[in-house]
Amino acid sequence: MNFRLIKTLFVGAALIANARLHAAEVTVFAAASLTDSLKQIAAAYEKQSDDKIVFNFAASSTLARQIEAGGPADIFFSADEAQMNRLEKKGLIDPATRKSRLGNSLVVVVPSDSTLQIKSASDLTNAGIQQIALADPKAVPAGVYAKGWLTRQQLWPAIEPKVVPTENVRAALAAVASGNVELGVVYKTDAAISKNVKVAYEVPRADSPDISYPMALVKDSKQPAAAGKFLSYLSAEEAGQIFTRFGFLLRE
Amino acid sequence: MSLLLKNISLPLADFTLEVDVEMHRHVTAVFGPSGAGKTSLLDLIAGLRTARSAFIQLDDHTLTDTVKKTSVPTHRRGIGYVPQDLALFPHLSVRRNLLYGCKPGGVNDPSFSFDHVAEVLEIQPLISRGVTELSGGEKQRVALARALLAAPRLLLLDEPLANLDAPLKAKIIPYLARVRDEFQVPMLCVTHDRFEALALADEIVVLVDGKVRQTGPVSEVFTRPASAEVARLVAVETLQPGTIMSVNDGLATVSVNRITLTALAPATASREVFVCIRGEDVVLQRDPATPSSVRNRLPARVVSLHPEGALVRVELDAGFPLFALVTRAACAELALREGEAITALLKAPSIHLVPR
Amino acid sequence: MTAEEWQIVWFTAWVSALSTVIILPFGLALAWVLARRDWPGKSIVETFVTLPLVMPPVATGLILLKLFGRRGALGGFLHDQLHLDVIFTWRAVLLALSVMSMPLLVRAARVAFEEVNPRLEQIARTLGAGGRRVFFTVTLPLAARGVIGGMLLAFARALGEFGATIMVAGNIPGKTSTLSLAIFENVQLGDDPRAFRLLGVSVVLAFAAVWCSEFFLRRKKAT
Repeated sequence: MNFRLIKTLFVGAALIANARLHAAEVTVFAAASLTDSLKQIAAAYEKQSDDKIVFNFAASSTLARQIEAGGPADIFFSADEAQMNRLEKKGLIDPATRKSRLGNSLVVVVPSDSTLQIKSASDLTNAGIQQIALADPKAVPAGVYAKGWLTRQQLWPAIEPKVVPTENVRAALAAVASGNVELGVVYKTDAAISKNVKVAYEVPRADSPDISYPMALVKDSKQPAAAGKFLSYLSAEEAGQIFTRFGFLLRE
Repeated sequence: MSLLLKNISLPLADFTLEVDVEMHRHVTAVFGPSGAGKTSLLDLIAGLRTARSAFIQLDDHTLTDTVKKTSVPTHRRGIGYVPQDLALFPHLSVRRNLLYGCKPGGVNDPSFSFDHVAEVLEIQPLISRGVTELSGGEKQRVALARALLAAPRLLLLDEPLANLDAPLKAKIIPYLARVRDEFQVPMLCVTHDRFEALALADEIVVLVDGKVRQTGPVSEVFTRPASAEVARLVAVETLQPGTIMSVNDGLATVSVNRITLTALAPATASREVFVCIRGEDVVLQRDPATPSSVRNRLPARVVSLHPEGALVRVELDAGFPLFALVTRAACAELALREGEAITALLKAPSIHLVPR
Repeated sequence: MTAEEWQIVWFTAWVSALSTVIILPFGLALAWVLARRDWPGKSIVETFVTLPLVMPPVATGLILLKLFGRRGALGGFLHDQLHLDVIFTWRAVLLALSVMSMPLLVRAARVAFEEVNPRLEQIARTLGAGGRRVFFTVTLPLAARGVIGGMLLAFARALGEFGATIMVAGNIPGKTSTLSLAIFENVQLGDDPRAFRLLGVSVVLAFAAVWCSEFFLRRKKAT
């Protein structure tokens, strides 16, 4: 065995290990509706940084609960202000880093082979529509927004009995895609993702509650420097373009 | 009745059951050592098993025909079955057990009425009891009654006396005899006890290792076994009708053709009996005067001698035909010749009395 | 405990009881056939019967979702011909509970049937009883203890069912919300006191059901 070869291999391995030691792993707890856009943004980021981005996508209410219980998040990216407020009140996020950059809009989706026509919110009260999928309107932002919209239209009491509450907005989307419900209310950005649904009605900006996606650094983060870097990247031009491509609105 | 068992072929663990017989008598015994396939044969007749090939016909009804692929299901065969373990339903009372096979409308034939059966088998006091409270003999009678109350066309009994001790056996035999006489139901009894077969049956089928070795009236098979194998199983060389004259102190005085014998008293009260003496139990002696423990010393005359391998079958006239089996050496030593006078010694326990 | 919580308890109890009743005829038939008959491929049937016991409940739930969804083989027929929806209704809860608890009934009942002396069944047939009569008057009464024990076990399993239920029925308040789903939801929402109240009821119910079941399934002393 070549002694020199062994030495070279050893040194090489040490260098790689060293590099890994300096590279950080940033854990992002993000709303389910951000799944596809954030994954693309992270891929772009990892090309220009040694850091690795790890995601936990779920309903924002679930994520907030997990952070409260000590979940190992470095960044929290919520789909509504309420969940962020919940954590800020408990002193779990760094308010200085809090930023609300993204917006979204609500749409009514139906299975792609559906013949249902929705011209206005009140069409949802039709007898032919028996089940409406919403992310759980008790806590999940997408559902809360939808409930807000329908309450303002004074249609919520008529619609509530038809509601099938789901874990998160992507589950609502899946329920519509499977054909097991007649329609669902999801974000416009979600509707674009699935081929098995089509948009039947876009909720006008004026009728919809204000949708805002705040993001912030989690106080107990183990990687505050690396997390801060990624947070800045999320506010930058490149990320903004990707978000827009997916259909998000930029609020700045 | 006629029961045809033709072309039966049923592979079992150690051998294949192959039977081809016709039974016409009222009570038939299927006789053979344990494991000869007797229970499997009963199961086939009852429709509880299927054979590779079989043709079973009872009177005019074809029950099984593997060639035509027909088989009457068990519950429509009308064949009663009393298995060896009796199989009384433990979760039902004696009454419910008895009534299980009764047709809802009652039976057409009054001889199978509940009261008649209960009376013949003397089970009235047992009716309200639970099955687990019964003694062995009581269970036997209840199982028998249950099968009868279904008004069967044929009654199958698997070793009906096997699980009983001697006094109990003697008690049950009369009930079986009563069933035979009172109900006119043909019976097929499986047994490995030759005296049981003798007591109950008109006809016997000898089954060894799944093959039928001999069939025929009981007394004929017993006295004229067709082969050494059958002889080993059933042979009772001397089989004569007799009458019990008196019973004293556990001993019975039996008269056979006016010759008096002392035998062990049987448990039954029957006076008419078969006197059964196995050839190997007969001792021949020249000098009648020598004292011994033997109760019966019969002066006899040698009628004929038949060598059978290492033994000689000696036919004697002791006032009735008596057969002895002795070794050739003994025969030579005693210088037995036809026409000679000799004494036959019979121990009392060697004389079996079987009620007729 | 609020009225809404009692409604959840009551719903869970009656739909679990109904599922136990529904699986009884199929479960007993299956158990009897497995106990008394043999055929090539029997082990495959035995495996399928045991599958819901060992597969992840959500996986079973997914299979049911595909089958009974409006586009599924069975669900499509029900929706188009009978205008009946299963997914996201109480019927889905019934379905999930039935599928998940049936293996327990089948296993316990099979053992109970195997312990009935086949000779008794045969003699009953010689006495003129056809298959059905033999089953109901001899086999079932003698197997009753084991069967009841199996039913109670199935009931207890149904009470606690979660994974398959949440897949096919969702957690619709007032319509498909069972004890276990409600406990999960309340933990998610952060309403611990309510979650613990429901947990308490859940434990009491399960304990009672299993305890009774053990009583019936305990081997009889040799008679």
